[in-house]
Amino acid sequence: MSSFAGVLASEWIKLRSVRSTHLILVLGISAVLLGYALANMAAGMYDDAPPQQRLSARIADIEEVVAIVPQLCMGILGTLAITSEYATGMIRTSLTIVPRRWPMLVAKSAVVGALGLITGATAVFGTYAVTRWVLGDRFSGAYTAVFADRLPLLIAISVSVPVFALLGLGLGALMRSSAGAIAILVGLVYVIPMIIGNIPEPWSERLGSVMIGALPREITGDTITTSVYGSLLPPALAAAVLVAYAALPLLAAAWLMRRRNA
Amino acid sequence: MIELHRLTKRYGDTLAVDDLSFKAGPGHVTGFLGPNGAGKSTTLRLILGLDASTSGHALINGRPYASFTRPMHEVGALLDASAVHGGRSAYNHLLCLARTNDIGPDRVTEVLKQVGLEVVGRKRVGGFSLGMKQRLGIAAALLGDPDVLMFDEPVNGLDPDGVRWIRGLMRSLAAEGRTILLSSHLMSEMALTAERIVIIGRGKLVAESTVAELTAAYPSLEDAYMALTASSVQFGGVR
Repeated sequence: MSSFAGVLASEWIKLRSVRSTHLILVLGISAVLLGYALANMAAGMYDDAPPQQRLSARIADIEEVVAIVPQLCMGILGTLAITSEYATGMIRTSLTIVPRRWPMLVAKSAVVGALGLITGATAVFGTYAVTRWVLGDRFSGAYTAVFADRLPLLIAISVSVPVFALLGLGLGALMRSSAGAIAILVGLVYVIPMIIGNIPEPWSERLGSVMIGALPREITGDTITTSVYGSLLPPALAAAVLVAYAALPLLAAAWLMRRRNA
Repeated sequence: MIELHRLTKRYGDTLAVDDLSFKAGPGHVTGFLGPNGAGKSTTLRLILGLDASTSGHALINGRPYASFTRPMHEVGALLDASAVHGGRSAYNHLLCLARTNDIGPDRVTEVLKQVGLEVVGRKRVGGFSLGMKQRLGIAAALLGDPDVLMFDEPVNGLDPDGVRWIRGLMRSLAAEGRTILLSSHLMSEMALTAERIVIIGRGKLVAESTVAELTAAYPSLEDAYMALTASSVQFGGVR
């Protein structure tokens, strides 16, 4: 019996042994630097503002803003994990030595998902720490509030990062082309929400509620009226939709991979 | 032992492999010949379960490829030497293949040495010449120390030294009792390496014979090949 542990080790070696992985990880975690810069700008503006304005000044959740960086990076990492094999032709070797095929895709999902979670949590919690340190009790103490109150949202945003990684992997396995998969990924995450934001209500709110960017806040119930997304889904349903973003493309790809000629 | 029983593969209107049956046995090199587009590579892919056959089947040591859970220990194959990620080192490339079939790093070092790549093992494959990639592909096929080996055009891109090395390697692997299926267009090389020859054209079996019989009936193996495939060349100039 070919051990799944062996296939898992193989996929980990594949990922760690190419430079693009290291580059993407550094880029993903560099979101903390972006968070630091945004926090500094916000602090400067706050300090320059007259006292009455300071009282009513609000700040967006910087972790949510900068999470775009690890999300996109990990989406691309997930895509490349499989499309680089199709581009080089190595997929034939990979499928020959694991004839059942699906263990390879499961192992890739595990490795890419784990790296996504680590990167996401590092970027999100790192940004929180840096922002809290920079802002102190400015903005009515937005960042000095009890950490436990903020924790669910930070976790939900962190978890959205491996979802992007798995979505990228699933799209890559379906499309078998980096350009195609990354175009769909970016379209799904940035282009479609923009279009939905401009269609008439109630559809803008309805469709906006199932966009991937809306889900972390819906899951935690921490919804805000200024969001570009909708906020109609109850937490459990939002969590299910988040899982579906990761799982459905992968399940479709696994089903197709068993049947396709390689 | 490789056995094909009425193997057929149809892509749309094209019959790539047409009712093909032959055997390649242990202890010698079986040359697998045919004009471009004859279906050689498709046949190898069907044997490896990469493509699903339309009808018929291929068996390796009496079993279909898909039934192997650790296939590298049964069959080694080199289909396309350039199908490697250029950013990965030779060692890591082999190690990621080896791990899937529970083969350890010591064996990776061993095969790197066997194919003469030990000094460049930690170098990126992207900088390798085609000949070096062929050696890497052969190393990958040998990882599981399999009884059955299949090589698709392994001599391409090798220098004279490499060509001689491959010839010796093929013969010694066969002498150890392994089944070797070797596809190549180099007739002179084939005459020196193979004992039996299978020729296909337009997906069909054209001839299955020994090199000795063919060279007795024709001036050379090349002449035999030309005569036998004359009617099945699809892409070529006027002869």
